[in-house]
Amino acid sequence: MDLALQDLGDYIVGHLPDEVEDNEIKLGELILSAKADGVIKVLKFLRDDVNCRFKQLVDICGVDYPDRSPRFEVVYNLLSLAHNNRVRVKIRTDEETPVPTATGVFSAANWWEREAWDLYGIYFSEHPDLRRILTDYGFEGHPLRKDFPLTGYVELRYDDEHKRVVYEPVKLTQEYRDFDFLSPWEGVQRMLPGDEKAGDFDLDGEASETGGGEDDKDDAEDPDKKEDA
Amino acid sequence: MGVTTNPLAGDAASLTPGAEQEALLNQVTDELQDKGFVLANVDKLVNWARTGSLWPMTFGLACCAVEMIHSYCSRYDLDRFGVVPRPSPRQSDVIIVAGTLTNKMAPAFRKVYDQMAEPRYVISMGSCANAGGYYHYSYAVVRGCDRVVPVDIYVPGCPPTAEALIYGILQLQKKIKRTGMLWR
Amino acid sequence: MAETQIRNFNLNFGPQHPSAHGVLRLVLEMDGEIIERADPHIGLLHRGTEKLIEHKNYLQAVPYFDRLDYVSPQNQEHAFALAVEKLLGLVVPPRGQTLRVLFAEIGRVLNHIFSVCTFAMDTGAMTPMLWLFEEREKLMEFCERASGARMHMNYFRPGGVAFDVPPELLDDIAAWAETFPKLIDDCETLLTENRIFKQRTVDIGVITADECFDWGFTGPNLRAAGVPWDLRKAQPYDGYERFDFDIPIGKHGDCYDRYLVRIHELRQSLRIIDQCFGDMPGGSCKSDDRKITPPRRADMKNSMEALIHHFKLFTEGYHVPAGETYTAVEAPKGEFAVYLISDGTNKPYRCKIRAPGFAHLQAMELLSKGHMLADVVANIGSLDVVFGEIDR
Repeated sequence: MDLALQDLGDYIVGHLPDEVEDNEIKLGELILSAKADGVIKVLKFLRDDVNCRFKQLVDICGVDYPDRSPRFEVVYNLLSLAHNNRVRVKIRTDEETPVPTATGVFSAANWWEREAWDLYGIYFSEHPDLRRILTDYGFEGHPLRKDFPLTGYVELRYDDEHKRVVYEPVKLTQEYRDFDFLSPWEGVQRMLPGDEKAGDFDLDGEASETGGGEDDKDDAEDPDKKEDA
Repeated sequence: MGVTTNPLAGDAASLTPGAEQEALLNQVTDELQDKGFVLANVDKLVNWARTGSLWPMTFGLACCAVEMIHSYCSRYDLDRFGVVPRPSPRQSDVIIVAGTLTNKMAPAFRKVYDQMAEPRYVISMGSCANAGGYYHYSYAVVRGCDRVVPVDIYVPGCPPTAEALIYGILQLQKKIKRTGMLWR
Repeated sequence: MAETQIRNFNLNFGPQHPSAHGVLRLVLEMDGEIIERADPHIGLLHRGTEKLIEHKNYLQAVPYFDRLDYVSPQNQEHAFALAVEKLLGLVVPPRGQTLRVLFAEIGRVLNHIFSVCTFAMDTGAMTPMLWLFEEREKLMEFCERASGARMHMNYFRPGGVAFDVPPELLDDIAAWAETFPKLIDDCETLLTENRIFKQRTVDIGVITADECFDWGFTGPNLRAAGVPWDLRKAQPYDGYERFDFDIPIGKHGDCYDRYLVRIHELRQSLRIIDQCFGDMPGGSCKSDDRKITPPRRADMKNSMEALIHHFKLFTEGYHVPAGETYTAVEAPKGEFAVYLISDGTNKPYRCKIRAPGFAHLQAMELLSKGHMLADVVANIGSLDVVFGEIDR
């Protein structure tokens, strides 16, 4: 299966060397990384080529990586009934750069793109009807971005004076308890009150002469090692 | 004037079916045939009538709607309580908020509630409608439908079973009997 | 005589309409009673599920999947469990797989009963609902006996199922499966040759196979257009390849064929349920990997390690290796998939839910254009939309 997929990936890259940057197989799923402006050509090729025939666009979604330079990824999932294959096409974009719309290739792209616009603020150029789809009428912001708070900014109640629902800033009686499971065993990183006397103690733990500092540093790196493995 | 208040509404409603109730009803019938009219507390009579035909508005929003439909269907058969779902707010006495109320839906919900005729009652069904529940911290959900309308009965559960909803409706009937007035 | 200007009529259908199957708001532009344009407004049940999942650990995220398509919760959980297992590289023991198949098919029966009955109700037939909802009650009782919850089972966990079923339950389900075909027949006598029902559904909302591909149709709606595509056959998961069943397909892709496909799928699901009892494997119903699945309660009384595992699993949860997967199952409504991205922590980085109904509802305008207003109701009913999954 993987071999056939690898062949298919190489075949696609061979035919579209300018548009497809990379192909890889992870967990038995073929992933193509494409250039944003060439995505329409890629999708058309995948749909029409006799060895691909990915005639169904099953999903488009956005992913937000705030740390990366073009922060968004747009992911197209395609399904070929003829060859019983799936392929995933990924492109990258940021808040400003528009992505060409796929509605011309697959009609189904219409709402998926509206959803990506609504939830992430990814702009699709020449989309026939780029309105918000899921969030409230008059909603502000793009809720699935990582910098959007879970509880949002406004909440709603009925106002007896105005005889209509009004929006107000969120006031929670109890905050969402988000436990940080990644840090507690890595040692204290910040300066504790009273530690100022240990003047040469650097916050990064480098200038520390005690053996404990070394250990702390090792511990801090440990979780990363586990994740890599 | 020496009017003897006939205890029809007050007591017949609280009597369980049986010999006692039978006797009372016979007494009322005799009086009716004898004098041609019956005297009763109007508000109690009206409350008794109201509890017997609580027509709920079908306001299924999410998962709880399925349980609500189940309570209308063959096994639980809410019809036997005189509870018949109505598709129009103008005809209904009670609205069962069955499911998550979102910010986008809230204005429409309030509009439906405003269209209902007095007296109107609200049953909040399920934890989402009660206080947001599992979706409490979401950016899109109203944290309890009591932020939008006044609620009479809260039915807990996620989703509450059909029995729980029926219990809630019975509680509402009790509440109407206890607190109901002609003009609310 | 001067020509009078005729203006199209705009009709707002929903969001509170008993035939809208929830909270659909449909803005219809009509020329007389003919639909010119249909613009579905969705999102009235948008609860931010995907965002909430990003803030919960993997085990806490499972119940959200119940609440997506609340008519057949089991199948949604199945997709999520499979996706997490794929990232973890976890193998489910055979008994766990077969129990999952059993309850997934019960979920399918639950869904198709609901969908056929409400569809019949929308087109004017009340009786099927009263007859078949009793069967739903029985199935929900089975779910309650297996998991403790009537609807939202939270039963399919990554690594297997939550608990083993009580031994009598399997016999009771088998006994029920004996009686159910009779009720499908009864339902069919009410609907299949019913003149009113046929007038409301035959040749209404026709969609061809090519249009289906273009609009991303899957599941019964695709099969009604004559495409024999079923993920349980094409890309089997959890041992579906061991089961013998057929894929019913339609010919015309209209509302009536969509109804027929569902009725026949009910019978095929019963076949699968029957086969589950024949070769129900013994052994454990969930993976033995104690870093993923909780230990038995009895072990926790004696073993410190088991207690620690239990505590860690239900506070921190488990960490899933970084990676991404698009895992799809054949849910009763179509291809339900989870696009799960993990960054190595105990919470999903991104969990995109691919709901079949989203794609189906999108084609509402295509299906309804040129039809009468009453056919819109038939179309919505036959597409089998549920807003929990569409709006997420």
